[in-house]
Amino acid sequence: MNIVVAIKHVPSTADELEINDEGVNLDFDEVDFTINEFDEQAIEQAVLVKEASGGEVTVIGVDVIEELDGVLHTALAKGADKAAKIVGDLEPPIDSHTQARWLADAIGGLTPDLVLTGVQAVDDLDGQIGPMLAAYLDLPYVGVVTGLSVSDGTATVHKEYAGGVMAEFEVNLPAVVGVQAAEKPPRYAPISKIRQMAKSADLEEYEADENVGDSGCEIRKMAKPVSAGHAEMLEGDAEEVAEKIIEILEERGLL
Amino acid sequence: MLTSIERVLFILMALALGGLAGAGFYGIYRIVRSGRSAPPRQNVLSNLIRAAIDVLLQKPMFRSRPVLSTFHAFIFFGFSFYFLVNVTDVLEGFIPGFELVYGGQNSSISLPAGLVNLFNLTADILSVLTLLGMIVFLVRRFLAHDRRLKFNDGVLLNPKVAKGWIGYDSLIVGVFILLHVGSRFLGQALRLAEYGQSDPFMPFASLTANLFTGLSEGGFTAAIHTTWWLALGLILLFLPYFVRSKHIHLMIAPINIGLGKQTPRGELDPATPPAAHTNGDEPADDEDPGARVLQDLSWPRMLDAYACIMCNRCNDVCPAHSQGLVLSPAAVEVNKRYLINEDFTALAFKGDRIDKPLTDVISPEAVWACTTCYACVRVCPVGNEPMADIVDIRRRMIIEGDELDSGIQTALESLAKNGNWFGKGSRGRSRWTKGLEFKVKDVTKEEAEYLWFVGDTASFDARVTPITQTVARVLKRAGVDFGILGRLERNSGNDVRRVGEEGLFEQLAEDNAAALGKGQFQKIVTTDPHSLNALRNEYGPFVESQWPVLHYTNLLLDLFQSGKLNVTHPLSHYRVTYHDPCYLGRYNGEFSAPRQLLELMGVELTEMPRNCENSYCCGAGGGQIWLGSTPAGERPAENRIREALATLAPPSNGDGNVIEPDDGQLLFVVTCPKDVIMYTDAVKTTGNEGKIEVRDMIQLVEEAIGGAMPEPEPETQSGGEA
Amino acid sequence: MSNDILAITEHLNGNVADISYEMVGGAKELAAGFGGQAIAIMLGSGMAEQAGTFASDATLYVDDPALAEFNPAAYGRVLAALVEEKSPRLIMFGNTSMGMDLAAWLSVKAGVPCVAYVNHLAVEGGELVATAQIYGGKMAAECVPAGDSAIVSVMAGAFPLDAGQGSTAAEQMASPVSLDDLPIRFTRLIMPEAGDVDITAQEKLVAIGRGIGSDDNIELAEELAEAMDAVLAASRPITDAGWLPKTRQVGKSGVSVKPKLYLMLGISGAPEHIEGMKDAEFIIAINTDADAPIFDVAHYGTTEDLFDVAEAMLEKLE
Repeated sequence: MNIVVAIKHVPSTADELEINDEGVNLDFDEVDFTINEFDEQAIEQAVLVKEASGGEVTVIGVDVIEELDGVLHTALAKGADKAAKIVGDLEPPIDSHTQARWLADAIGGLTPDLVLTGVQAVDDLDGQIGPMLAAYLDLPYVGVVTGLSVSDGTATVHKEYAGGVMAEFEVNLPAVVGVQAAEKPPRYAPISKIRQMAKSADLEEYEADENVGDSGCEIRKMAKPVSAGHAEMLEGDAEEVAEKIIEILEERGLL
Repeated sequence: MLTSIERVLFILMALALGGLAGAGFYGIYRIVRSGRSAPPRQNVLSNLIRAAIDVLLQKPMFRSRPVLSTFHAFIFFGFSFYFLVNVTDVLEGFIPGFELVYGGQNSSISLPAGLVNLFNLTADILSVLTLLGMIVFLVRRFLAHDRRLKFNDGVLLNPKVAKGWIGYDSLIVGVFILLHVGSRFLGQALRLAEYGQSDPFMPFASLTANLFTGLSEGGFTAAIHTTWWLALGLILLFLPYFVRSKHIHLMIAPINIGLGKQTPRGELDPATPPAAHTNGDEPADDEDPGARVLQDLSWPRMLDAYACIMCNRCNDVCPAHSQGLVLSPAAVEVNKRYLINEDFTALAFKGDRIDKPLTDVISPEAVWACTTCYACVRVCPVGNEPMADIVDIRRRMIIEGDELDSGIQTALESLAKNGNWFGKGSRGRSRWTKGLEFKVKDVTKEEAEYLWFVGDTASFDARVTPITQTVARVLKRAGVDFGILGRLERNSGNDVRRVGEEGLFEQLAEDNAAALGKGQFQKIVTTDPHSLNALRNEYGPFVESQWPVLHYTNLLLDLFQSGKLNVTHPLSHYRVTYHDPCYLGRYNGEFSAPRQLLELMGVELTEMPRNCENSYCCGAGGGQIWLGSTPAGERPAENRIREALATLAPPSNGDGNVIEPDDGQLLFVVTCPKDVIMYTDAVKTTGNEGKIEVRDMIQLVEEAIGGAMPEPEPETQSGGEA
Repeated sequence: MSNDILAITEHLNGNVADISYEMVGGAKELAAGFGGQAIAIMLGSGMAEQAGTFASDATLYVDDPALAEFNPAAYGRVLAALVEEKSPRLIMFGNTSMGMDLAAWLSVKAGVPCVAYVNHLAVEGGELVATAQIYGGKMAAECVPAGDSAIVSVMAGAFPLDAGQGSTAAEQMASPVSLDDLPIRFTRLIMPEAGDVDITAQEKLVAIGRGIGSDDNIELAEELAEAMDAVLAASRPITDAGWLPKTRQVGKSGVSVKPKLYLMLGISGAPEHIEGMKDAEFIIAINTDADAPIFDVAHYGTTEDLFDVAEAMLEKLE
């Protein structure tokens, strides 16, 4: 089983975000990047599949700000076997179409049996890379998957719908799967293992093809969302606030 | 006195049993040596002598349980003196006519009467005291069933321990001591009875001698021979058992104390054995950090097992055990010893590496219940460090990917990613300064006298940041030249290291060291005892120069003493008690500055029973504050709040003696950001809001100096004068 | 190239999803701006009746047994063929589990730009202006997709529901492409375990999120809910952790609720959660982070500690 996990390095939303001078995207100098949280689920799921059915896991991503190594070393420490990055004279933002194109070119050469990716990412304004990879590689795609097992060239996946309903599909391999949640919470990668990987692991590099066109989805303006309104904030200590809440609820006949 | 046959028998027994015991001791030596290396011990001889003196004075015992310790001292002094007594008894047996009664006046060899009388008196009194002590201990264990000798339900115990072998062992040792000392005592009494005369230097024996008047001559001979054998033959029989029994503590304890930890309390031993570091920083491949099996533990941890007598003083002070959790520091040591003894011969003599899993010593649940408060280590009379075993076990669990508590995992991931455990970006670290009326210096950009290492809780927790701001205002008002590292500061790694994430600790320490290296300052100050501990004790390998690390209470005291802060509003209307944070007090010996501050401010301080070295943990340390689930039972902080209330407002004793409002507001004063959270919460959960209030020291200082707002800048001269 | 707008509707278990009507309503509005038609597209089997419930200008219903249940491979094939045939100005998907499998895929297959997470659409001077949430809802991006065709996936609630409900007769057709040899086969639906309360039917909900901290604190929330005669609901982290059953999850991958009262404890308001509760009549949020997006949605809010407030409320109610 040759499993490839395609990941994205995305702006961290743990910080307060600043908009750049042009007002069309973030001020990327003032923001940390982090692995897309769903990609962490995808890596965990890949390692779980490997542990259950054998195989090899390769993690690959576009090195948007030349800081992807740490993410890849972490993936290796969590049980991935190989890691690769797409490099070039790159600068954020790089849209999903472009990233998917580059990833598809690299992944195509790896002849995967299964491609996993996070179901979505905070920066995929022009769509998620999973279905795009499937389209470029001409493979089937199922997303929002929370369960995955593999046998005899077929993957059985559980796709999540609203209201706790799930659909089960059988998917011919090779295929692309967009992971919503791995069957177990992602494991912890001890830092010393990550550091060991940083010393010993070879990261394969792929040159980004500069001739790939963009998504045709240019941002003309970015702003903090205008909220229709803001809650009226209740002042005072917990006692007083509790008092007020009860008062308000009683007024409205909700108690 | 002895017949020839008896003499031959005794000598043969002594050779055989003594040889067996000697082999046992050698075996213990080999087993201890089979542990991993530990930081080298310096000045071993002088330390061993110091330990011997401490033990002779029974000093380590009296850290707790004074009454029982007194009875222990009886037995200890008696038993120690009996080494000498045994020698004279052997002489009595082997040298015809040698005897000590009546100052040795009837002895075949002339003896100095004064010395012999002193010896007899000492032996006589100590024999009785030993018997008394032993009886008290046996009654306590087998009749009174002292609860402190029991373990909480669910504490992992070696099957033999669970079946009550500690009890049997105690019974055997107890009966042995009673027989050994009792027989010797009776033997002397019989001699006095035979002479039919009391000896003023053997008052108890003389008294007892009355029981034997009228015994025939043959009866005396038989009885004296019997008691001699019961006293001395028993010792020989007991020797090999001694090696396997808990009683070996009397040999190992002084050695264990003498060979004890020499680095500061706040500095953990390295995760990989120091020897592995000889060729650069790379640990050898076969030396994984931490411990999974018995012999992954360092030799002092093996020695601990033999030093433990299972008095369970550690359980008394352990916040986890007191909460009813499955952690018992004593059980760790007991289990280790029983585990070793299961395969004693193979471990000692065959050079076998028997992989005895440490999951047979302590359950993972117990491993994760430890707050690393150091109370167990501090209180242990025999110098054991069960906490060190726990940290080493955590280290291996982390590196080998054992399942982690979800809360701890989330915290570690955030720490790895953001450098703090609040899941906030590093840019938010100095956000608390935005509420100030002045700008706080960034020491990486401009020079300041003090670097204030703020720490995670004080920087990010909304319940603490107002206090952090007050500290800044007071320092500003006092004219202290201080700055911060801003977004470059990382969690100090103190608790990360104690969770066992050695790699992350190193990363955080390296990041902080790099940031500190960029800073221009002379001293470090912090409100956070955990940061203080790491910076003061564990950053040596990471920083080029070590700065003095002060707690803010030291700095504040200095400011008052130098007149930069003045008490304008004495706080006599408060009745307070003060809680020593583990990592400030017990770990770093800082007890006086906070108390001096309180005194300066005119506060009436009443100490809780558990104070200073014996302070009780709030339950947050060692990563416990990150746990995703809170275990059942009265939490340590709740227990502590009740202790504080009992101290400040003892329950009325029926005469309607209740606290009057005039008596002043009751305060629980803390000097640690985590304590602010833990105790504020505990006051609520124990339903004591309104009765007692948790205050950080700085809040009292702010009040005492009449408000922390900096004096307004002097008006700049207007242009009119020009 | 036409100026028509295709709204790709969806259904589960024979029920048309609300977002389908919302899209049809939105499509109508936009179609007027482009001078084209709003065409509802439904793929299914035996769904003719439901296909006639839209207020679209036209409805196309493709009936094939292979389309009875959602199947990304089958649906993708049919939609690719329809789009090629109709070359619409705009193709609308719901930003749902189904829509997310198709929108970006079709964007690559058809070579048409795509905007995801769209919560506002407008036609300005003949151009399509799509406003999408990005960076976890912390930013709003406004874009004008290049070219004369575009795909969007729209968030639930971007358009009102009723404007799309109607009775336009559907034109039924067979699949324009072969649906043999699909690489993906639907095997079954797995329904949530029955027996738990239906939170969509409740008048009052107390919803808990990550801020509740630990399993043990659920009890407090439960007591409060009980005292208020309400039922406990949760955001995704709580059900993922297994602290409450999946049936209690409100939001994108849970259920949408419209109770009279939605009292929130420790929920910061991820877009996925807001999607499921924003239509509640009265919302009170208790969350220590004053910047939490939930305060933009709630009517009343407080940053006091949720445990303190909950305990104080409980005390007063008892």
